Amino acid sequence: MLQYLVILLDDTSVAYCHAENPLKERYLISLNTLKKAILFGMKENLMIQYVYPEYDLPKEYSELIESIDHIKIGHDIKVYNDVTLSSTAGTAILRTTVADFISKQYDIAAMLSQVTRLIICLKDAELFQDEQIEQYKKALSTLSAMVLNLRKSDYQSEVNILTDRLTLKEMHNCGAGDSNITLAPNGKFYLCPAFYYDEKMGISNRLNHHKPSSERSVGDLETGLQIPNPQLLKLDHAPLCRICDAYHCNRCIWLNQKLTWDNNTPSHQQCVLAHLERNAARTLQQQLRAVGLNAGEEIKEIDYLDPFDVREKF
Amino acid sequence: MSTIRKRNDVWHEKMAKNITFIVTKDCQLACKYCYLVGKNEKERMPWNVAKAAIDYILDHENDPNFAYDSVVWDFIGGEPFLEIDLIDRICDYIKTELFRRNHQWFNSYRFSFSTNGINYASDKVQNFIKKNYNHLSIGITIDGTERKHDLNRVYKNSGRGSYQDVVCNIPLWIKQFPHSATKVTISSADIPYIHESVLHLYGLGIHEVNINCVFEDVWQNGDDQLFEEQLMRLADSIIERELYKNFSCSFFNENMGKPLDCKLQNGNWCGAGRMLSIDAEGNFYPCTRFAQYSLRDKEAWIIGNIHDGIDYNKIRPFLTLDRCTQSAPECIDCEVASGCAWCQGENFDAAHTHTVFERSTAICKMHKARVRANNYYWNKLYRKLELDGQREEFEANNAHVKPEIS
Ligand code: SF4
Ligand code: SF4
Repeated sequence: MLQYLVILLDDTSVAYCHAENPLKERYLISLNTLKKAILFGMKENLMIQYVYPEYDLPKEYSELIESIDHIKIGHDIKVYNDVTLSSTAGTAILRTTVADFISKQYDIAAMLSQVTRLIICLKDAELFQDEQIEQYKKALSTLSAMVLNLRKSDYQSEVNILTDRLTLKEMHNCGAGDSNITLAPNGKFYLCPAFYYDEKMGISNRLNHHKPSSERSVGDLETGLQIPNPQLLKLDHAPLCRICDAYHCNRCIWLNQKLTWDNNTPSHQQCVLAHLERNAARTLQQQLRAVGLNAGEEIKEIDYLDPFDVREKF
Repeated sequence: MSTIRKRNDVWHEKMAKNITFIVTKDCQLACKYCYLVGKNEKERMPWNVAKAAIDYILDHENDPNFAYDSVVWDFIGGEPFLEIDLIDRICDYIKTELFRRNHQWFNSYRFSFSTNGINYASDKVQNFIKKNYNHLSIGITIDGTERKHDLNRVYKNSGRGSYQDVVCNIPLWIKQFPHSATKVTISSADIPYIHESVLHLYGLGIHEVNINCVFEDVWQNGDDQLFEEQLMRLADSIIERELYKNFSCSFFNENMGKPLDCKLQNGNWCGAGRMLSIDAEGNFYPCTRFAQYSLRDKEAWIIGNIHDGIDYNKIRPFLTLDRCTQSAPECIDCEVASGCAWCQGENFDAAHTHTVFERSTAICKMHKARVRANNYYWNKLYRKLELDGQREEFEANNAHVKPEIS
């Protein structure tokens, strides 16, 4: 069920997830479009998440933006594209590369004491190689040691790729096109901002071939949402993910379509990364329990890193 | 003694890796139902591409993708026998390399061809057959009576029917491969000729006729009724003339037309993704139907090439496909689901998004018509066997027949 409406206020709104925003020219959403978008959100009962550009918006936008409950990404939730030690915040997003995550693991661990929740998002998950498994494990254990120490001293540090799995009892993925939808400044809907960027960059359209160009929109504010094959965005139509227990995994459908060409099929890279995180969460869980701290339902030991290797065969 | 002929099992079908060389995109014919929308005279496979493909495959003997006991090397086109010199060279190289590498496929391989039969009796093709006889499967496509065959299977330049040029080679083919089957494809305009065509093929001495309706959305209003009538006439003729004793036709299958369970009977229909197709440029495909010349609306689904190898992410969707995930609720709940086939390539081509998980239902009404005629056939046949005192023997012989989908 749709729950969130992500509104990109400008073409240069910050990237906050896997995909880079390659758009450099400002294109501010019109007041009229914004008004309609907010109305859509109200009528569909959606929680609104505004995504901010780096520049200050004209004054007349504030009143409209504040007319409804919302979250401000790039504002309330800060987005960092490099490891930084200079901030203190509630929730922050760190967008990093696999290589930086590994090489700057101690700096990233240090960030944990400055935020209540750190969301780590890999900008280049597709480049992850199996040869990096041990290094990634090591970086996760560095983070894990920090979480353990902080929690021992009663600081409820959270980091999505480690602690989310401790509390989840079922899949909690990105949900693009299923639990959330993105509205771009042009008044059209996209499964997530990444699909909008791809359209603007004219990247070959592998999502919606019945449209002539690289267009990837799934409806607009005038005609409403028209998501083709919506069932394929749901967990029960994803043969690998539905048998998986890396519950915290983003299950990024943008990466899916980019790497496997099918929205419901994850890449090897995405699965391996999520399982290394899942297994690191398991170790952390045992350590937390050992010192008498609450760590959620037991995460079972498994002997695979990619559900593809244990897929149902008919 | 068996009173009912069963279809031949395809050689080592389950354990064999299927590797297809698209040796040419050219063909003498321009069949009207041909799914190959991009046929042309230019794209012929160069020897160095074929060799590099074989080297890649044999170098990856331990890769799970190639860990099969046996292999079927398939040659298709266009018309493969237009490239008989290349094919001969490829086959020689494969045999030499399998031997040199002491490969598990040595002596467990097959060369397979689907041909229009026009060049079948040529010296080159015949020499090739003699040389590789024990490892060959060759299917000649003949569509039935002359008028039915020539309705579709016409020369590309003159538009002249090809029947006479094919039928003259059938006796030689049957002599060389007595158990061979022919493949017949039915499109809307062919329906009135089904009955006469199957009987005609039996008359030519072909004991196994495998017929399929095309998967594309070509069916007109009323085609299902016409189809059902034709199949019932065919059922009558087969039973009355007791042709079931020596001949088989894939239209009639006892296990067809039953509901299917989403847990126990959830297999995919076709082997796309388990197969490997290679084109003239050295690109790899999950099946030939995913090459650009086979697709109307979509970009080719290229899974790699002879230089960079296979990108395994690109075959994950194929290897995780199951029946129910790709089927609409109407197909999942269908009371006569078993035997209703699909083609992954056509599903992909017709899909609303870039996916192999959207099953096309263009064939639905034709399948239902086939189920009705099939029920008629078996009810009538069983009654006859009962009256002739042959039913028990028949049932004993058929106890092991497996369902069409499992
Ligand atoms: S790890 Fe792989 S299978 Fe599991 S939810 Fe993530 S993408 Fe899906
Ligand atoms: S599909 Fe979801 S996880 Fe992937 S880039 Fe878009 S918002 Fe992020």
